[in-house]
Amino acid sequence: MSSVIAFEDRERRESRKLLVGLCIFLGVMLGFPVIVNLWYGFADASFENLTGSFIGLENYRDALSNPKMWQALGFSLRFALICTLFEVGIALVLVFILHPLLVTRPWLTAVLMLPMMVSPALMGVMYRLILNEFTGIVPVYLEMAGMAVNFLGRRSIYNTVVAIEVLQWTPFAFLILATARQTVAYEIEEAGAVDGATGWHAIFHIFLPLMRPAIVIVLFVRFIDSFRVFDHIYVLTGGGPGNLTTSISIYIYKLFFVQRTIGEAVAVSTLLLVMSLTLIVLAMRLVVRRN
Amino acid sequence: MIVRRQSPLNILADSLRWVVFAVVALVVNLPVLSTILTSFKTDADINAYPPKWIFTPTLDHYRTVLTSPSVDYLHYVMNSIVIAVLGTIFAIVLTLPAAYAIARYKVGAKWLLPIITNLRALPLIIFAIPFYFMFQTVGLLDTRLGLALISCIINIPIALVLFVGFVQDLPRDFDDAAKIDGASMGQILRHVVVPLSRPVMLAVFILSFIYSWNEFLFGLILTTKSAVPVTVGATFFVTSRGIEWGPTAAAMTIGVLPPLILGLFAYPYMGKSMLAGGVKG
Repeated sequence: MSSVIAFEDRERRESRKLLVGLCIFLGVMLGFPVIVNLWYGFADASFENLTGSFIGLENYRDALSNPKMWQALGFSLRFALICTLFEVGIALVLVFILHPLLVTRPWLTAVLMLPMMVSPALMGVMYRLILNEFTGIVPVYLEMAGMAVNFLGRRSIYNTVVAIEVLQWTPFAFLILATARQTVAYEIEEAGAVDGATGWHAIFHIFLPLMRPAIVIVLFVRFIDSFRVFDHIYVLTGGGPGNLTTSISIYIYKLFFVQRTIGEAVAVSTLLLVMSLTLIVLAMRLVVRRN
Repeated sequence: MIVRRQSPLNILADSLRWVVFAVVALVVNLPVLSTILTSFKTDADINAYPPKWIFTPTLDHYRTVLTSPSVDYLHYVMNSIVIAVLGTIFAIVLTLPAAYAIARYKVGAKWLLPIITNLRALPLIIFAIPFYFMFQTVGLLDTRLGLALISCIINIPIALVLFVGFVQDLPRDFDDAAKIDGASMGQILRHVVVPLSRPVMLAVFILSFIYSWNEFLFGLILTTKSAVPVTVGATFFVTSRGIEWGPTAAAMTIGVLPPLILGLFAYPYMGKSMLAGGVKG
């Protein structure tokens, strides 16, 4: 008996070697950034004087007292919340409408999934093409219908940016929720509980409650992803006009690569890291407990 | 499966569903469709009012894009291919053995797996500044290898999650038989696990290729000239030459087709790979 345990112990120990490559790679690729961030957060480094010297909490004070940071953070939180609610809401409605078509025809799902495979940056450029004032097909047809809208103008740019995110990622919410809807259907058929409960009643009292874990997961994943939005907004507006569409990711990018204030940029990204980790831990707790 | 009676009401409901499907499919895919169409139109057709849906296609814009002296697009396409392939291979080599150890022996299942899956949920911009300095120090700025390393980090979570799932489903008998024959763990990996993992490896390869190909932020920050990927290079047609929609649309089409086509093969894995993060403990 003891020799079996010894053998298993040896195997476990041997199997640890298989992790070495991955751990070294991650150690270097993530360890180095942590050191860099720690130093630059507390140093007055500039592109001319890369090492800089220790200045304590000044960078963090600058970061926190800059109203633009709070504006960008507010944008990201609001953006993530609105997009997530729209994406999950629309996806849920579509799942219940389209379910009978999808069960026998998986290729329909594939057609709806296509936007997920497109780079968000290229998606931004493509929307620029179809929304531009002069030749874009959407404004042209709207104008013919008597509704002139300048999608990329100051007044509607915020809604445009939200709509693009929603149009690109509703398919993701749809995919997960459609899968959950199917799984629930099988469970119910097995339990034979389908008798009597039909239509709205079935949706609200059987399907939605059973789909809740999937809904919660999709809400969190989409929130976290939209919160860090960068690509399509950068390509479409560069964060402008003014700071109207500056997300926290774009704000950090601008601080570092445009204004070239290393310390403050690092301080904001460290704050963002702490916030994201809090959000993730919170999400894990909630989801793990609920499931 | 519930058998539906084909009453007139059901037929009506089904046709309404088809209408909803068609409208949604058109709306979400409109930018891609329209861009592909535009890329084949002559400049006159692009500026036609009302928009033309039937036209004689031309390859002029593709010729412009691929031979443009100011924007070396073909080079960017090559960059993207090399970066995606290298990054994917790195990710597979690093994660497959680790996934075996995690799934079979629960080594690191409690800490390594959650850390890695949560990596995907962090805002990439957090890594941007440190990587800029790190790459500057070691001479990796504006190199394909540098971006391949980044794409490897981005792909590790998907690869690990899919491989761990695969090893968990793999019957233990296979490796037990090899063990009785005296195979070492390395040999089991090489001669048992790797050959059997081909289908899932293909899925990992396709998904990480798509993610690497679509990556934008690090391409923007860490390259200036020689390692510029397609996603960044395609935007050069917008900013540096005013907006010429023909060439831009052709550049977009070239940049968007590879992941789109690959994605059709990998879409059953798509949801799983995107959930790999944040909320999976």
